[in-house]
Amino acid sequence: MIANLPLWLSILVSAAVVLGSALTLAGCFGLVRLPTFYLRIHAPTMGTSLGGGLILLGSALYFSLTQGRVVFHELAIFVFVTVTTPVTLMLLARATLFRDRVEGGSAVPPSFRKPEPLATEAEMQTGIVETKAD
Amino acid sequence: MPTELALTLIWSLPFLAAVIAMAMPAGARNGEAWLAGTVAAVGLVLTILLFPQVADGGVVHSTITWMPAYGLDLAFRMDGLAWLFCVLVTFIGLLVVLYARYYMSPKDPIARFYALFLAFMGAMLGLVMSGNIIQLAIFWELTSLVSFLLIGYWYHRSDARDGARMALVITGTGGLALFVAMMLIGHIVGSYDIDVVLASGRLIAEHPLYPVTLILFLLAAFTKSAQFPFQFWLPNAMTAPTPVSAYLHSATMVKAGVFLMTRFWPVMAGTDMWFWIVTYGGLATLLFGAYAALFQRDLKGLLAYSTISHLGLITTLLGMGTPLAAVAAIFHIANHATFKASLFMAVGIIDHETGTRDVRKLSGLRRSMPFTATLAIIASGAMAGVPLLNGFLSKEMFFTETAIYDPNVFVNLSLPIVATLAGMLSVAYSIKFVHGVFFGPEPTGLEKTPHEPPALMRRPIELLVLACLAVGIIPGITIGPYLAAAVVSVLGGDTPYYSLSVWHGFNLPLIMSIIALLGGVAIYVPYYRRLRGIDGDPLLRGLRGQRIFERLLITATNRWARKMVSVFGTQRLQPQIFIVVLLALAAGVGAGWARMGNLPLPSSFDPVLGLVWIVGGVSALAAAWQAKFHRLAAMILMGGAGLATCITFAWFSAPDLALTQLLAEIATTVLILLGLRWLPKRLPVPEDISIGMRLRRYRDVILAAAVGLGTGLASYAIMTRQAPEGISEFFLANAYTEGGGTNVVNVMLVDFRGFDTLGEITVLGVVALTVFGLLRRFRPAPDSADRPEQQRVQADFAEAQGSANVAADFLRIPALIMNWMFPVVMTVAIYMFLRGHDLPGGGFIAGIVMSLGFILQYMAGGTRWVEDRLRILPVLWIGWGLLIALLTGLGAMALGFPFLTSAFAYADIPLIGKVPMATALLFDLGVFALVVGATVLMLIALAHQSIRRPKPASTPQPRKREGLDTWN
Repeated sequence: MIANLPLWLSILVSAAVVLGSALTLAGCFGLVRLPTFYLRIHAPTMGTSLGGGLILLGSALYFSLTQGRVVFHELAIFVFVTVTTPVTLMLLARATLFRDRVEGGSAVPPSFRKPEPLATEAEMQTGIVETKAD
Repeated sequence: MPTELALTLIWSLPFLAAVIAMAMPAGARNGEAWLAGTVAAVGLVLTILLFPQVADGGVVHSTITWMPAYGLDLAFRMDGLAWLFCVLVTFIGLLVVLYARYYMSPKDPIARFYALFLAFMGAMLGLVMSGNIIQLAIFWELTSLVSFLLIGYWYHRSDARDGARMALVITGTGGLALFVAMMLIGHIVGSYDIDVVLASGRLIAEHPLYPVTLILFLLAAFTKSAQFPFQFWLPNAMTAPTPVSAYLHSATMVKAGVFLMTRFWPVMAGTDMWFWIVTYGGLATLLFGAYAALFQRDLKGLLAYSTISHLGLITTLLGMGTPLAAVAAIFHIANHATFKASLFMAVGIIDHETGTRDVRKLSGLRRSMPFTATLAIIASGAMAGVPLLNGFLSKEMFFTETAIYDPNVFVNLSLPIVATLAGMLSVAYSIKFVHGVFFGPEPTGLEKTPHEPPALMRRPIELLVLACLAVGIIPGITIGPYLAAAVVSVLGGDTPYYSLSVWHGFNLPLIMSIIALLGGVAIYVPYYRRLRGIDGDPLLRGLRGQRIFERLLITATNRWARKMVSVFGTQRLQPQIFIVVLLALAAGVGAGWARMGNLPLPSSFDPVLGLVWIVGGVSALAAAWQAKFHRLAAMILMGGAGLATCITFAWFSAPDLALTQLLAEIATTVLILLGLRWLPKRLPVPEDISIGMRLRRYRDVILAAAVGLGTGLASYAIMTRQAPEGISEFFLANAYTEGGGTNVVNVMLVDFRGFDTLGEITVLGVVALTVFGLLRRFRPAPDSADRPEQQRVQADFAEAQGSANVAADFLRIPALIMNWMFPVVMTVAIYMFLRGHDLPGGGFIAGIVMSLGFILQYMAGGTRWVEDRLRILPVLWIGWGLLIALLTGLGAMALGFPFLTSAFAYADIPLIGKVPMATALLFDLGVFALVVGATVLMLIALAHQSIRRPKPASTPQPRKREGLDTWN
């Protein structure tokens, strides 16, 4: 089946998959190498957003053309990964932030506004959030 | 009506009615009484209609095929003896129902009374009609069990509980002995069919196993019929409501023992061993019962000991081994049932109308309740053996048998002398009963003013006393044919000539009767004042069977048990686990060493899978390393090992397994994480550990490694071998054609092995309910009862910031996304469910997916938020799930297929396409509902702990023992 693939398509699919993998790998290195938690938390997003997206693009191209119909699976996977991964990272980040604030750790990133409440009733209504410098 | 149907109705109606009675509303006293009375009346009428067929030694059979491959059927038969017992059970049952309608207080839980009463009636009918001796033993146990519940009916009273427990222990032990005896008889005869056994002649009595069989057999009969030395449970069983006593201790329960001896009399009796044990056991009981009855101040106690004594009389007759004695025994069984039931009812009326059964407080009641007095006096006359009453006839026959010349001098003298002595005593206690209660001055100091009971409450006694009189005066007409049928069914061709006439001429038995009557008066008259005030007999009062029994029971179940625990048990888990694992290793090595054979090396190796395995292995090792000191890390690492397993399954083309593993892995990890909160805080790594501790750790590591490697090796050895020719080929070949699905695993679960699945989901439901029940009153260890540090910190922070809910504020966005994911998860669950029959998925997987959705909601919103919004009633889901699965299975049966056969078709649904519509899908729906219900129930139970303020468990006091501290 691979032999029947036109060259341009082979190159396209390979490029997408290799680039995606490289980005994911870079994200993993970042997870290991970056100095603080708050910096590290950003690294895996490389893998889940752009890296994953490129791999899925390659997969979608390949299967759509070899199987003769448009494959939606990759789209669904992309949507779910994009929606759910931030949840995990946000949970981790917010939990750490809370702990650091309570314990007064040195690495707490500066807060740009009063942490509580996040939004007043008025802000919730209007959607306009006034940012206040500390 | 066909005979077979009649037989089936007689024994099955009471059980059916028991279920109905249990379900009736609490206040339906009349409804319950009508139900029970109708059932007893129908049973009585059916039995009477069957009489022509059993009259001349005929036997009626009814067999319901149950497991023909094993020769196990529900076999019922009715012959003359069974007929007589059925009439007694249903007739006296009918009267007791009427009596109980007026006796039982409206405050008593009446549904339970009638349900148990009916169940007991059914058990007793099943016992006397059993056509299979194993089945007989089972109904025997059933009577023990139900009588336990009946005796303990007023279970708020400690004496009722004690009496019930004692009756159960004694008669239950006898039941066990009976079961073994029946197995032995079946072994000797070669059949469990009672007809074959009864036709076996002297086969059993001449077999080398006869002594063992006989001892076990008599253990059963003696315990049930309260024969010496097991008589003590019966007086304690008098704590039952009086209708129960009237039923159990006149016509049914205690008569089961003598019924058993009569039933097997043709094949078991007639040996020396039988003669000595049964005759003298019975004689001792006869004398002891009559003696003890004289000194009772409780009227029911008096009747209880009198019952023991009369049962002793019947046993003695059965022991003598002559056909005429057997005739007398059967006759006395019927007579005793009639007069004793009426006496119990009379005592119940006295108790009911005066508030006491104490003979010291009662006197002169003949003025206030003349009718009851007359009836009780006549019944007492029958009990004492006064001429022209039924008791006289059978007692006369008893005297005749004891007076027969025996070459053994001891037998020749002891039998008639003890019989006469016991006769005198029974006359004396009968006079005590009559004189003490109904004569003398007006009673003083009673709680109630005595008066006659409602007429209908007296009617049963009137009928029974009428029967006493009729049998006593014109026995040939009233009981003659029925007694003859019963006698022929036991004795067969050996039936001797016997005369039922009242006057036999002036002979030795008549002299004995006269001596007994006059002697009884002579005993009573001089001492009646002292007898009235006495409680318990002066000679044997110290030797209480009850106390001996209780002491034995305490020794066996408490002292010995505690000793065993202290010798073999330990409060620490580590040594137990060490021993269990060590033994498992030894067993595995012992069994597997020789059979390991040569292990082929794998032919190919995939480096990627190898990498996955290395990650999984390292995770597992690290989890073990961290298990004691950092549980959270250990849990996460365990998840890593689980994921490696998952990938392995997927790699080797087991997508179903991989999917299930993945979902179960997630669910268990989350649930255990929730449980971690109740474990003690993580331990600090100790700085300096002793040499001993170090050595123990090395030992444990070596053991763990050996077991792990051994298990791995065994798995490898099994999986590299050619699989034996199993049934998997069948499943692969037939999944589509027979089950209508291409996913073989799912077809197996819901179709081929659907019965297994039904059992499994039942277990799952039970487990969920158990978890809920246990956690509802969960008492954590004292050191984890306080709120955890995180909650305290959050509360402090919230207070400092003036915020209501820190978690909600900090996690608003992730929580929102998780909320939005819920419908998506639900869609995935439905998708998984629908594709299950042909592709990986199915009810179980869909159920877990659904429950993961709930876990997400708990994480996002917190317990209170979810509990406010939860619209799933998990217990209902569990129940409906089970019902749907069961009904699907039954639906196949209704169409004439075996249980759980599935039908299938493909439906064309617009937009979606061809969808397999197998009835297995319905079954899977049941599985799905149950899994959702069970997991949500457990989730609620676990999550609710976080908003509960549980009381800490009482501080355990670990018992320090030498050498225990070395385990760590």
